[in-house]
Amino acid sequence: MGMRMVNLSALGSDLKRGMLPVLGAAAFLCSGLPAAGAAAGQHLEKHFTVKTRPVVVIHNVANGRIEVKSWKNSEVDVLASQASDKIGFDMEQAGDRIDVTANILNPSAQPRELEANLQLTVPEETELQLKTETGLIYVEQVMGDMTLESVAGEVHLKEVSGYIIVRTTEGSLVCTQCAGKLDFKSISGGAQVLQPALTNVSLFTTSGNILFDGDFVRTGLYTMKSGKGLVEVRFSGNDSFDLKAQTTMGTVDNQAAAYLKPDSHGMMHRASKFTKGLFGTVGQGLAKVELSSYSGTIRILKRD
Amino acid sequence: MQCRDVEIVVEQEGLAPLPEAARAHVATCSHCRELVADLATIVSMANELPAEVEPPARVWISLQAQLELEGIIKDPVVPAHGERAPWWHRFSDLFRSRALATAAVGLMIVVAGIMELRQGPDEVPMPPTAVVRPNGQISFAQTAKVLNEQEIDLRNMQLAGTSTSQVDDSFRLNLQQVDDFIADCERRVIEAPQDELAREYLSNAYQQKAELLSAMMDREGSLH
Repeated sequence: MGMRMVNLSALGSDLKRGMLPVLGAAAFLCSGLPAAGAAAGQHLEKHFTVKTRPVVVIHNVANGRIEVKSWKNSEVDVLASQASDKIGFDMEQAGDRIDVTANILNPSAQPRELEANLQLTVPEETELQLKTETGLIYVEQVMGDMTLESVAGEVHLKEVSGYIIVRTTEGSLVCTQCAGKLDFKSISGGAQVLQPALTNVSLFTTSGNILFDGDFVRTGLYTMKSGKGLVEVRFSGNDSFDLKAQTTMGTVDNQAAAYLKPDSHGMMHRASKFTKGLFGTVGQGLAKVELSSYSGTIRILKRD
Repeated sequence: MQCRDVEIVVEQEGLAPLPEAARAHVATCSHCRELVADLATIVSMANELPAEVEPPARVWISLQAQLELEGIIKDPVVPAHGERAPWWHRFSDLFRSRALATAAVGLMIVVAGIMELRQGPDEVPMPPTAVVRPNGQISFAQTAKVLNEQEIDLRNMQLAGTSTSQVDDSFRLNLQQVDDFIADCERRVIEAPQDELAREYLSNAYQQKAELLSAMMDREGSLH
């Protein structure tokens, strides 16, 4: 069995090596067509007219940032800039779907040669699917569902709303004045949710820190979990939520004991004998807040 | 036949067709009926996942080797045309892409979770080492083995390549972090098998490792 694996792997590698020059040449020729204007250190700008809520899909395998802002026009404007001709842009429109892909044309290029930034202006109501490896993803004032993926780049969102899905390996999320639903997962990236109007929040990171600083919408559901990091929640005196905080090996730092009452809904909560827990209610307990950490600290405090 | 016997039959032979004795037990046991119904739902949902591109041979070979090693596949010979394929061959269809392999690992975690939940509270309390199953495996052992195989494949791929970009470094660093966290959680689960929170974190860590390996293999595949 082991021999078969080795032979197949070798065969695959040989085939891929043999095909690389052909594919590289083809990619170079093809990418030259749509991005003829984008030479080294230059810019490429394209406009796409759309009818209704467009879907914009971006895949940036190069280094660089993706910035998305909105305007009132029914048009998607894409401004691409690149550091060298070792990157090619493919852009296409199919109805209201616009696809933009930054490809590496020369795998042996140096990191600084692989810098490609994308700046988009889209209608206010736009769905986004953005994927990058190392650059920042920045989205501002866009309403629509969005899926944002990054390996090492940060994700900054400001005044966006919709069903927001963020996946990173080590990139952190900063979500300021976001509304709708937020689903964040990362291995070592952290999440900061500031002044939100989110009705449903799910944050999970293995070793990053989580900060939620803002109001809990009544009937909202909030789950925040970090394997090793700090989970900190800062609430206001007007908030109304049930709180359940649990940790296996970490600590619960309750700096809001004066505001936390025993659960007012008649349900008797108790931490299992294997965990340290804190259960209580702030106000009438209308929202539900669940915090956990395997070995990190959970901190609950009231904002000034 | 008892509930545990039905679980063993399902683990070894799949859902359909269940042997007569197992069917007779399931007909009279609501516990097992629910188990079979849950698993049928999972398999059904998995089959509805969209087919994607063919995976590299090494993914299935690695899984096949693992399944053979564990005695789940007893006869690796592909059936003659027209014969009904064994259930594990249908299961292999789930691994038609790395994305589906990730989903399948997720399903395995779900199945492992269901199996664990089926150990009802009325059963004999588990001693501290009860997380070790009768065959000597800890919970999620199947998942862990599949992932470890994938990790070995990945390391072989990386040895063949020379990629040292920021992204590769990030992947490696984070894989190490997830492995360390899995080791932490496993130690805790062995010490305190009934620590639900630790089990939840362990399950999530395996899921993250599956996704990370999938992303790393995709990247390696596209570079070499």
